Amino acid sequence: MVRDAGRLIRRAHAWMSRPLPPPPAALRRGPLRRGAFDTSGRSPRLTSLLGIALGSAFAVCFLTGLLSHLIQHPPFWFVWPSRPVALYRVTQGLHVATGLASVPLLGAKLWSVYPRLFGWPPVRNLTHAIERASIAALVAAALFQVISGVLNVARWYDPMPFFFTAGHYWSAWLAIGALLAHIGVKLPIVRQALARRIPERAPAGTLTRRGLLGTVGVAAGLITVATAGQTVAPLAPVSVLAPRRPRSEPQNLAVNKTSAAAGVRDAIFDPAYRLVLAGLDRSQSLTLTDLAALPQHTVVLPISCVEGWSATGAWTGVRLRDLIRLAGLDPEDAEAYVESLQTSGRYRATTVPTPHARDPFTLLALRLNGEPLHPDHGYPARLIAPNRPGVLQTKWVGRITVRKAS
Amino acid sequence: MRTARRVLIAFGGLGMAYAVVGALTDPDLKGGAFVFLAGVLVAHDAVLLPLTIGAGALVGRFVPLPSRALVRSALLVSLAVTVVALPLMVGPGKPAPAGFATYGLVWAVTGSIILTRRVREARRRRADRRPPAPRADPPPAQQSGCPPTPGTAPRSPAPGTPPP
Repeated sequence: MVRDAGRLIRRAHAWMSRPLPPPPAALRRGPLRRGAFDTSGRSPRLTSLLGIALGSAFAVCFLTGLLSHLIQHPPFWFVWPSRPVALYRVTQGLHVATGLASVPLLGAKLWSVYPRLFGWPPVRNLTHAIERASIAALVAAALFQVISGVLNVARWYDPMPFFFTAGHYWSAWLAIGALLAHIGVKLPIVRQALARRIPERAPAGTLTRRGLLGTVGVAAGLITVATAGQTVAPLAPVSVLAPRRPRSEPQNLAVNKTSAAAGVRDAIFDPAYRLVLAGLDRSQSLTLTDLAALPQHTVVLPISCVEGWSATGAWTGVRLRDLIRLAGLDPEDAEAYVESLQTSGRYRATTVPTPHARDPFTLLALRLNGEPLHPDHGYPARLIAPNRPGVLQTKWVGRITVRKAS
Repeated sequence: MRTARRVLIAFGGLGMAYAVVGALTDPDLKGGAFVFLAGVLVAHDAVLLPLTIGAGALVGRFVPLPSRALVRSALLVSLAVTVVALPLMVGPGKPAPAGFATYGLVWAVTGSIILTRRVREARRRRADRRPPAPRADPPPAQQSGCPPTPGTAPRSPAPGTPPP
């Protein structure tokens, strides 16, 4: 049986390796011509070095991105702690910074192998065709990731005819899968290229290998310094490209969705506003005065957006665990479903799992930096919890349903 | 190594298959994502990269040889910055005019390196033209910093060439 299977695989392999008929030579024009490209600046060693750097950057982006996805859509086996409070700030800041820094790396890597796109014959056999198709998938997915990521950081969604989060997630799997297969195929070439040094052959006036690697490094460094200030506060003065400048927004904190855009302005200023707190068997309505009369606590917590910006605020309000107790449940074994006054929107509601629900740092905040919340920051009350993405820090809270942890 | 390669290729294939099945069954993703996937590939391979290579060739045509590699390098850095900056400037993420300072920095540094190199080169040439001073003479301090005599600067003196 096993021997049969082995024979079958060998036969399939032999069949797939059988040469395909060569294409007519008359088609070999333009970039397909022999010597159409000046390859003196390109070498397997350059491509290998760029590939290792880019592969490492993609690994960092994939792992931090997967983490962010799991936090937002937790499967039953996934538990995300509430401490350290700034862990998500670091992982997501790293995700975005690494992604942006890989722009020049990807550009240089693709330039270094560009002549191979026009290799002749285009396909030698079926195995070669599959390999080329997987490289096309890798290049397309890598470009998809970097470009859609940049567009999301800029919050420019018009060029993307799909829901960014879903597209970026599935394309990440395509990129990382194709990358693993690519490493598997190219490993011997990389080992050989790194084992021996080949003298530079770059003619005068062109970039040497070291020159190109240096250029890529300078570009990546410049992009990092010019954008990282959106999450690393000391860099803010020199981060001239940082998309979010918290200092210039209300209460020194960036706003992604304004109260006007969310369509809640009437509801939040309505004197009849009540927070509905629903427990297992009873439900109560709390006015703002009721909420202010409960024990108030102040915590200093960052708000960290999936787009990579973050900023720290001093939040004052009621502990979520106190509200859970008020609803008649034990915070050690409860979770809360927090809903916004928004009537629609993907992020209008969120579940606060037990680790965050029982954490004394998790507040239903009424004030930010000593002032009542700005309407764009969630007036009259918003959720703020340690170590969570900003999209899960629900604003304009209208209802909290407390239930036993599932 | 053979086993490692096979494992990598197998896991890679699984990852790609998971991506394709997941994308096809995700209600949040319609055909647009596939159009975008193909679109970025074509836009890069058929438009951006050929234009970049063309720009590099133009530099070879119009920029003097000593500055050529540096100008190419500065152009590449500017291109990478543009890929990040353009969506920020065009999109709703608040156009930041200060962002242009990045280009200013790149080209100011490039310009000053080119200028410093030229000045150094000119000084070296002048020093090469100077007659070797007799040993007993004091150091020719009065000559340093003298402007070259107009019209007499040799274009490319070989090091150690005796003065005319």
